[in-house]
Amino acid sequence: MHLAISLNIAAATGEAVLDFSRISKFVRQAEAAGVDMVAISDTADGPSSSPFEATTLLAALATVTDKIGLVAAASTVAHQPYNLARRFASLDIISHGRAGWHATMAQGSREAANFSRPEGFSDTDFRRRAEEYIGIVQGLWQGWDADALLFDKTGGRFHDPEKMHLLDHKGEFFSVRGPLNVARSPQDTPVLVLSDLSEADLDIAARTADVILLESGSVDSAKVRFDDLKRRAMAAGRDPDAVKVLTSISFAPDDGPAATADRLETQLRAKSCDGFNIQLSAQHSALGDFVDHILPALRQRGLVQEGYRGTTLRSHLRLDGGGDQ
Amino acid sequence: MTARMKLGAFLWATGHHIAAWRHPKAHVTAGIDIDHYIQLARTAEAAKFDMVFCEDAAGLREANVGIASQTSRSIGFEPISLLSALAVQTSRIGLVSTASTSYNEPYGLARTFLSLDHLSGGRAGWNLVTSASPIEAANFGSTGLKPHADRYERAREFAEVVTGLWHGKASGHDGQSFSVRDPLGLPRSPQGAPVMVQAGASDVGRDLAARTADVVFTAAQTFEEAKAFYDDLKGRMATYGREPDDIKIMPGVSPVVAETEAEAREKHEELQALIPDDVGVALLSSYLSISDLWRYPIDGPLPELPESEGMKSRQALVVEQSRRDGLSIRQLARHFAGARGHWRIVGTAAQVADELQAWFEGGAADGFNVMPSYFPGELDAFATLVVPELQRRGLFRRDYEGRTLREHLGLKRPA
Ligand SMILES: Cc1cc2nc3c(=O)[nH]c(=O)nc-3n(C[C@H](O)[C@H](O)[C@H](O)COP(=O)(O)O)c2cc1C
Repeated sequence: MHLAISLNIAAATGEAVLDFSRISKFVRQAEAAGVDMVAISDTADGPSSSPFEATTLLAALATVTDKIGLVAAASTVAHQPYNLARRFASLDIISHGRAGWHATMAQGSREAANFSRPEGFSDTDFRRRAEEYIGIVQGLWQGWDADALLFDKTGGRFHDPEKMHLLDHKGEFFSVRGPLNVARSPQDTPVLVLSDLSEADLDIAARTADVILLESGSVDSAKVRFDDLKRRAMAAGRDPDAVKVLTSISFAPDDGPAATADRLETQLRAKSCDGFNIQLSAQHSALGDFVDHILPALRQRGLVQEGYRGTTLRSHLRLDGGGDQ
Repeated sequence: MTARMKLGAFLWATGHHIAAWRHPKAHVTAGIDIDHYIQLARTAEAAKFDMVFCEDAAGLREANVGIASQTSRSIGFEPISLLSALAVQTSRIGLVSTASTSYNEPYGLARTFLSLDHLSGGRAGWNLVTSASPIEAANFGSTGLKPHADRYERAREFAEVVTGLWHGKASGHDGQSFSVRDPLGLPRSPQGAPVMVQAGASDVGRDLAARTADVVFTAAQTFEEAKAFYDDLKGRMATYGREPDDIKIMPGVSPVVAETEAEAREKHEELQALIPDDVGVALLSSYLSISDLWRYPIDGPLPELPESEGMKSRQALVVEQSRRDGLSIRQLARHFAGARGHWRIVGTAAQVADELQAWFEGGAADGFNVMPSYFPGELDAFATLVVPELQRRGLFRRDYEGRTLREHLGLKRPA
C-alpha cells in the first residue's frame, strides 16, 4: 500500500513557529521510514505555524533529502498557470524527480480577496477554470521531449527544435502560448494530487490526477467511491491503476497501534483504497508514534514494504514514467 | 574606514556570453544541475560576495526556434525555487531573484519572497522588473505586451502593496490594479523586509527606483554613461524624502580575466569565435525591439528605428554605441553578444581592479553585478584573481560584517 504523510503546518496550532530544521528533521524521519511522500499544506488566507510558503519550503527540503516524494499545495487562484507549471517543473528537477503539485478543488474562503478578486468565483466558474488550468499545467509539463537537449558544443546545437512544442492554448479563462522554459521532468511530469472533490469534480480528477485524496468514512462508502473513481478513470481511457486513491486518516493518540493497524488493514483488504494519507501535525512526537509503533505493525502484516525501490515519486507510487522501477 | 564596494554574482545559464555553453570548459548541463548551482553559490560566498543574483523571464528568450536552439537560454531553473534550494545550502550570502510585476500578484509575490527570507535567515531580495518581452506576454493572455507606461503604473502600485505587506502596515488595499484584504500570515522578516532591487533605467523606471528601491541594477558601456545615470538617480532621491546613500547603484560588468593580458584577450577571442552570425543578430534585434534586422546588410550601419515599447533604456544604449563608434550591424552584434549590453573588461586582475576602482571612486557605481562569461571558470577566476586584488586595495570586505543582506549592503533596517 502507498503511504503519504500530510504535514499540516499551515494551520495555526497555537504552538511556537516551526523553523526549517524542525521541519527537515520531521521529513527525514518520514524518509527513513520509507513513506512514499510528504504533502505540505499551504493556504494564503490565514496565519501559519510555519513561516514558509509551500513551494519554497519544498525546494529547500529537496536539498536535504534524497528519496522521499515532496508534494506542495499551491492554489489555482494564487498563481498564473504558466508560473505554477514552471515553479513545479523546476522543483521536480531540483528534487531529481520527486515533486508533486497538490491542487484543491475547493475554493479558499478568503483567498480570492487577496488576489484582486474581491467578488470570488462562482462554484461552476471555479471548477471550469480549475479544469482548464490543470490542462494547461499538464500540457506545459510535456512541452519538451525527454531527449530534446543535445548539448552539442561543437555542432552548436543545444537542443533539437523539433522536440520543443508550443502549447498554443486559447480557452475560456486563459491563453497560454508556451513552451515552458524548464526542461522535461526526470519522472516525465510532476505528480498531480487532487483533493476536496465534489461530485462534479470526479470526472476531472479521474481524467487528470495521479493521486486522489479522499476523506475518511466507513469502509463501505470508501469502497463505493474507490470503485466509482476507478471506473471513471477507465471510461476516460486510463488504466485504473494509473490513479492512486488514498484515504485520509488521522489518529487519536490513545487509539493504540494494533487497533490502528487493524483499521487500516480492514480498509485495504476491502479494496477501498490504494493506501493512506496520514494527517499529522508537524510535531515530532506525532510522527514518532506512527513510525515507531504503527508502521512496524503494518509491516509485520506484510502491508507495507521496506524502503524505496526507485528514486522518483512516480516510481514509489508505481506510476508510469517513473524512470527506474 | 573607506567605503567598500558591493558585489553581486549574477548566475545565469551556462554564462553571460551568448556562446558560453560552447566553450570547452563551460558546464553545459547547468540548466538541469542543481549541484552546479550550489557549488557556484558556495564559491561566491567563500569570496564574500554580497549576493547571488538571478534574472528571470516567464518564457523563452528568443522567438525564432532555430536561433533559440543554438543558445543555452531556453531552459533553466525557475529562480525562486532555485534560490530556496540555495538558501539552505549557504549561510551568509544574499539571494536576489528577479520577478515581474506584470505577471504576478503582489500578495503572492510578497509571501513567496518573505518565505525565502525566512528560509535564509534574512538574506532575500526581490529584483523588480516590468517585463519587456512579447514572448512572455503571450503566456499570460492574448492581448500582447502592455504599453511601457501602463506596465510601470502597475509596477508602482504593485511595489506599494508589497512593501506595505512586508512592513506589516494596516492591511487592506483597493487600487487600480490590485485589491488585497488580509495581512500576510507570516512573521516579520529577519532583516525588517526583504531588499528591494530594481532593474529598469528609463525615466519612469528611475523614478520608481528612487521611490522604492534599495539597490538598482543597471547597464552602462562607459564611465560617462554610468556616472550620468548615478548622479541622476541619486539626485532624484530627495524628491521622495530619501538620502542618496539609501540606494546602491550596481552596474553589470562582465570581466574576462587571466594571469596575463594576452591570455585574457585570447580567452575572449575564443568565446567571440563561437558566436554564429544569425544568433548575434537575433540577440541584437531583441535589444532593439525590432524583428527584421536581418533584412539589412550585416556589414552596413543600423537602420533608423522607432522608439521601443519594450526596453527603452537598452535600445538607447545600443543606438548610442553604434553612432559613437560607427559600428556595423555585425560588429555591434558581436559586441553585444559578449556581455549583453553590459560593461566588459578584458585583462589581468590588476587591470580589472583598476577599472572597477575608477568607476567606484569616480562616483559612477556603489558596486557591481559581476556577470561571468561562462561558468564555473570565469566566476572562479574572478573569485581567485580579482577579489584578493580588491581586498588588498581595501576596496572589498575580507569577511561579512553581518548576517543579513541588508547588513552586507549597509542599508537601514526599515522601521
Ligand atoms: C540592467 C537591467 C536588467 C534587467 N533584467 C531584466 C530581467 O532579468 N528580466 C526582465 O524581465 N526584465 C529585465 N529588465 C527589464 C526592465 O526591468 C523592464 O522590464 C523594461 O525593460 C523596461 O525598463 P526600462 O525602464 O529600462 O525601459 C532589465 C533591465 C535592466 C536595465
